Amino acid sequence: MQPNPTVFTPLLIAALVFFAWSCYRRFSLVTLGRGEDRFQRLDLRVWDMLLYAFGQKRVVAKPFGINHFVIFWSFVILLIANGEFLIRGVFPAVSLALLPPSLRHALLLAFDAISLLTLVSIALAVGRRLFFPPSYLNTPYVKARSFEAFLILAFIALLMLAYFGLHGAEIAMGEEEAAAWMPVSSFVAKVLLAPHSSLLIPVASFCWWVHAVVLLAFMMFLPHSKHMHILTAIPNCFFASLGKPNTQPREEFTRGSRYGVSEVQEFTWKDLLDGFSCTECGRCQNACPATATGKPLNPRQVVHAIKTNLFVNGPLIQKGGKPIVPLIGEEGEGTNTEDTIWACTTCGACLEACPVLIEQMPKIIKMRRHLVEMESQFPEELLNLFENMEQRSNPWGIAPTERTKWCSTMEVKPFTAGETEYLFYVGCAGSFDSRQKHVSVALATILNEAEVSWGILGKEEQCCGDSLRRLGNEYVFDKMARENVRLFQEKGIKKVITQCPHCFSTLKNDYKQYGLELEVVHHSELINDLLKAGKLNLSQKVTDLGRVLFHDSCYLGRHNDVYEAPREIIAAATGAPPVEMERTRNNSFCCGAGGGRMWMEEFIGTRINLNRVEEALRKNPDTICVACPYCMTMFEDGLKDKLAGQTRVRDVAEVVAEGLR
Amino acid sequence: MTEPKKTLKKPRGVACLVEGKCIACGARCQSACPVNAVEMNDAGEPVIITEKCIGCVKCVKVCPAQAIEMYFTPEEQKILDELMKQGAAVEEVDEEARAVAEKIAAYSGVWVFVEQTEGEPAKVSWELLGKGRELADALSVELAAVIVGEKVEHLCNEAFAYGADKAYLIDAPVFRHYRTESYLKAVCHLIDTYKPEVVLMGATGLGRDLAGAVATVVKTGLTADCTGLAIDDKRNLMQTRPAFGGNIMATIMCDKFRPQMATVRPHVMAMPVKKEGATGTIVRESCEVREDDILVKVLEIISDKKGRDQVDVAGAEFIVSGGRGMMGKENFAILQDLADELGGVVGASRSAVDAGWMPPERQVGQTGKTVRPKIYVACGISGAIQHLVGMQDSDVVIAINRDKDAPIFEVATYGIVGDLFQIIPAITQRLRELKQQKSK
Amino acid sequence: MLVVACIKQVPDTTQVQIDPVTNTLVREGIPFIVNPYDTHALEEALRFKDRFGFRVAAISMGPPNSEATLRKALALGVDETILLSDRCFGGADTLATSNVLASAIRRLQEQEEVGIVICGKQTIDGDTAQVGPGIATRLGFSQLTLVDRIEHLDREKRTIRVRRKLEGRHEIVEAPLPALLTVVRELNRPRYPSVPKRLASQETEVKVWSNDVLRLDVNAIGLKGSPTWVNRIFSPERDKGEIIGDGVNDPVATANLLIDRLLSKDLLAL
Repeated sequence: MQPNPTVFTPLLIAALVFFAWSCYRRFSLVTLGRGEDRFQRLDLRVWDMLLYAFGQKRVVAKPFGINHFVIFWSFVILLIANGEFLIRGVFPAVSLALLPPSLRHALLLAFDAISLLTLVSIALAVGRRLFFPPSYLNTPYVKARSFEAFLILAFIALLMLAYFGLHGAEIAMGEEEAAAWMPVSSFVAKVLLAPHSSLLIPVASFCWWVHAVVLLAFMMFLPHSKHMHILTAIPNCFFASLGKPNTQPREEFTRGSRYGVSEVQEFTWKDLLDGFSCTECGRCQNACPATATGKPLNPRQVVHAIKTNLFVNGPLIQKGGKPIVPLIGEEGEGTNTEDTIWACTTCGACLEACPVLIEQMPKIIKMRRHLVEMESQFPEELLNLFENMEQRSNPWGIAPTERTKWCSTMEVKPFTAGETEYLFYVGCAGSFDSRQKHVSVALATILNEAEVSWGILGKEEQCCGDSLRRLGNEYVFDKMARENVRLFQEKGIKKVITQCPHCFSTLKNDYKQYGLELEVVHHSELINDLLKAGKLNLSQKVTDLGRVLFHDSCYLGRHNDVYEAPREIIAAATGAPPVEMERTRNNSFCCGAGGGRMWMEEFIGTRINLNRVEEALRKNPDTICVACPYCMTMFEDGLKDKLAGQTRVRDVAEVVAEGLR
Repeated sequence: MTEPKKTLKKPRGVACLVEGKCIACGARCQSACPVNAVEMNDAGEPVIITEKCIGCVKCVKVCPAQAIEMYFTPEEQKILDELMKQGAAVEEVDEEARAVAEKIAAYSGVWVFVEQTEGEPAKVSWELLGKGRELADALSVELAAVIVGEKVEHLCNEAFAYGADKAYLIDAPVFRHYRTESYLKAVCHLIDTYKPEVVLMGATGLGRDLAGAVATVVKTGLTADCTGLAIDDKRNLMQTRPAFGGNIMATIMCDKFRPQMATVRPHVMAMPVKKEGATGTIVRESCEVREDDILVKVLEIISDKKGRDQVDVAGAEFIVSGGRGMMGKENFAILQDLADELGGVVGASRSAVDAGWMPPERQVGQTGKTVRPKIYVACGISGAIQHLVGMQDSDVVIAINRDKDAPIFEVATYGIVGDLFQIIPAITQRLRELKQQKSK
Repeated sequence: MLVVACIKQVPDTTQVQIDPVTNTLVREGIPFIVNPYDTHALEEALRFKDRFGFRVAAISMGPPNSEATLRKALALGVDETILLSDRCFGGADTLATSNVLASAIRRLQEQEEVGIVICGKQTIDGDTAQVGPGIATRLGFSQLTLVDRIEHLDREKRTIRVRRKLEGRHEIVEAPLPALLTVVRELNRPRYPSVPKRLASQETEVKVWSNDVLRLDVNAIGLKGSPTWVNRIFSPERDKGEIIGDGVNDPVATANLLIDRLLSKDLLAL
């Protein structure tokens, strides 16, 4: 079958021009974003790209992701076939026939097999969307059974069918010397086409044109659909955050600046690229605790809103105009409501789920920054928190003089530079919350038992500012962080123990931006090390806690990859590894208190902590073990609400201290 | 040129700060220093510039905390000791003090302002008559009630029954409602005319409104919210009151001005025994105040008892709060009964609100209302920190909880471990009984 | 029209304690804050600005470091700030304080009509609630204390109608302007300053008026103008928490015991 270059060439050129123009239109929008350096450590970036984009690491984490893996790699390999197809359409003399026969045969075999595989995958994908679409594929604006999705699937299917039709016809006509290497096409030739020899030429011609038209249509459609991710996902993985996005960038507080994001062009170019990379797979939506409990927040929708907002407003802004669709405002496509923005617990489940490494949560915090710093607009409960933090450096506004009350029953030394090894950064909950004070005492007992050199800051200790930063009050966080960094440097503090994953992550990750390099350990890590090194010996096995279940704290696990330490010490103390929840480790479900949600009411939907408590209770635990003061509070409250008073909540340190008695 | 036998000149010394005693009262020493020898540091403590000090002792005298003393060199000390031996320390006569003594001698008597709203007296006034009696007796002067209003003559006899010797009465239609301007004129008129040495008023909204104005006009000292009053050996009123949010008690003096004015919180002084039939002198006064001159108008007085639907938890004086331990919405009725008896309102913890037992505007705590009632009764509230921060500034916290380890007991003034469904009705019942006994 | 908010920088009283050994105030590291009641006064002044376009001035008497308090007021949106600071203002009680504040307001009146002065109900360090009435009396303004709601402001008739919160009752009062209001916390919810305003407030001038400006008789201000003085300070006797009776086995007797305790301590009156 010989293509007709005089007809095809103009078509191809037109399609290419349209494609290029569309890409230009789209990608020039990305350049509206603010600058951001995402070019450091190219080696790591290439690795991330290979792992997540080409290796599809996150995609295949879910079983159905394998289907996508197949389609993706088919697409990559068939690029050669399609490339040849297009070139040959213009220059009929240029074809795979120019390659050594063995290589050509191998390629044709691969194309043939892969095309069949793709066809099967497409059928599965269609079937899934039609007959058993998971709920997380739907949002108010994008549906599982969307026309677009089926159109794309139809395009791919048509390409495959046309491929077989074309090659089948050629084989049937005896024009294909490599027929033996093309089993599927040969099958089509033999079974379907051979009986109709008169139709072979029209069929071949028809299939060629179907293939050609669909291919060009696909290309032209690409930049205008969610399948733009085919173009953007790979660079997006390349430009992804190098570390875990467990911290937010600093803001420079100079006069005349704007803080946070209220209009789409105030995002960085990477934020906007994220919008273009979203595959609408719904995995973030499926993982999000806010979405799961009926809050208006859906991380996928946030990204979708940024994308659609950019599509509408971007061209206007390019022409020097003003945006017409608000980024933050009343419910509507392209707009995030304030309720959406405040619902986030910053648990990072979305970050962990996204196959193309989109950073949803930091975008939400950027919008919070705008609301807090520019508009002073936030849920009224937060006013108390903000004032307390600024005035008394703790969320409850308790007098700093009471910071040492937790250790009134024991002797605790102040941290002394040069003498003390570890600073025990007690944290606000550990200092003031009567429940968490027990954990502080348990941990202090353990440290003494293991003869660790430790001390506290006492009344000088200040809140780390975690809640403020996650709530977008960067201005006050910045002040507090500078204070703390100055204090730490003055005191010559190098090593810090925390009992709160929020302090842990803030001191460890956020304060780095202020030039403070600390060795921060969460108490579960330190206790584990002490046990392993034989410095801490338990006098008895802890048996009276019964069946112990462990709940992963987001800021310990997902945000900082500490999963094993708490489990190992529970195992060491009780003699058995803890019972795992259904959603565990990096798939853990937030307690509902992170991201400053601890200080807000939960008026909308059901309660996140109850969702998690119910999940825990399904495992019939006697003790729920936590490693975070927020989780402690949320579980204690949830269990009382569920009238499950017989189930206890214990911090890992308390479990170990039990073994010291 | 040295004279061998010169009379010893008394060395004056220089002032110096006693470590750790300064209370940062507000730079009294600095203000007192005639030669600007006192500078204040950031902590509010004085730094005395020794070279400038002339040893006048003014700062020593003015310091409320005895944080400044005179320093003498060893040689000076020797001379001082020598002088002591000679017994030559002659008290310097203070001209200023004499003038003050003369001025204050013109004032005599203890007065209590009797507060009333539409003829109904405020109980604190009678409590003050009780205390006023003590003070008057200590001073050997008479105790008078000041009664201003319209058709309030009946209050005179009541004042006598509570211990007043005399009642100054200003009764005119213009005084029907309390208005600062009219009452101010009336009270100032009486003070100018009769010159009392002590004037007491209730530390109520009305009393504090009036006292502040009166003290400004008569240019005298006023001490607010006193919890203790006594007479010192120089016939001055010692006024003790909480300061710094109740973290500190301070005794305040107003020894150079008269009258000495104080407001006293209700329920602080004991209610005196009422002696029915006691009599006294009624001094009727009139005061030139015309209705046309008083432009402030009281349009309406709304008793809080009427609007039950609009419950103001944040401003309530008595709060009975329920938590998860209430077990259900219907059980809040027993809290309402108790609140009614106390004249207070029902509040709730977050979990009770979450459970839908109480509306969100009743919520006390970090994300709800911050309250400072006189009495806060926490029923079935475990006392999570989120709740504690909303109510821990209450004057008295009463906690009733089944769990003796509940953190609420850590902040409770009085705790009862037990079943709130038995205890609360018993408290309500007891209050009712006592009230009935009293009314009989 | 100018609305004047009188504000004060106070030590954070929850942190003030007496050293049990030396019987002196422990002041180390105690931060200064804007008197909480005054934040409601500021807020209401700013609401007048929002509603009627009045200009708002915040004034404060205190040591030079009180400037920080006025900067906070600037960050919230007041138009003008004046710090009344002079050595000879120091050591003032309420009578001397109201003299200085009233005099400053009089001075402001020379430039612009002052229609409303707003103070917090009281300060948390002194808790006297006397400065507001003192200013009103000295200026001859209508005195409206304990305001918990602004009912109406009639610009034509130049009257203001407010609700006052008193014991067990509320009062609706109408008064002619100029008026001085002291406000309770229930009146409003203070706003939170935006970052641009905070930054701008750092660069705005806070005027300082010393007695060279006010020219008051030195015997009527500061320590010399203060009739009252502190003779002694001590720690209050605090009832430590106490578990009463045996509520588990004898609830009725325990309830009676509680009531008796409350009555005998004068914590409750029948």
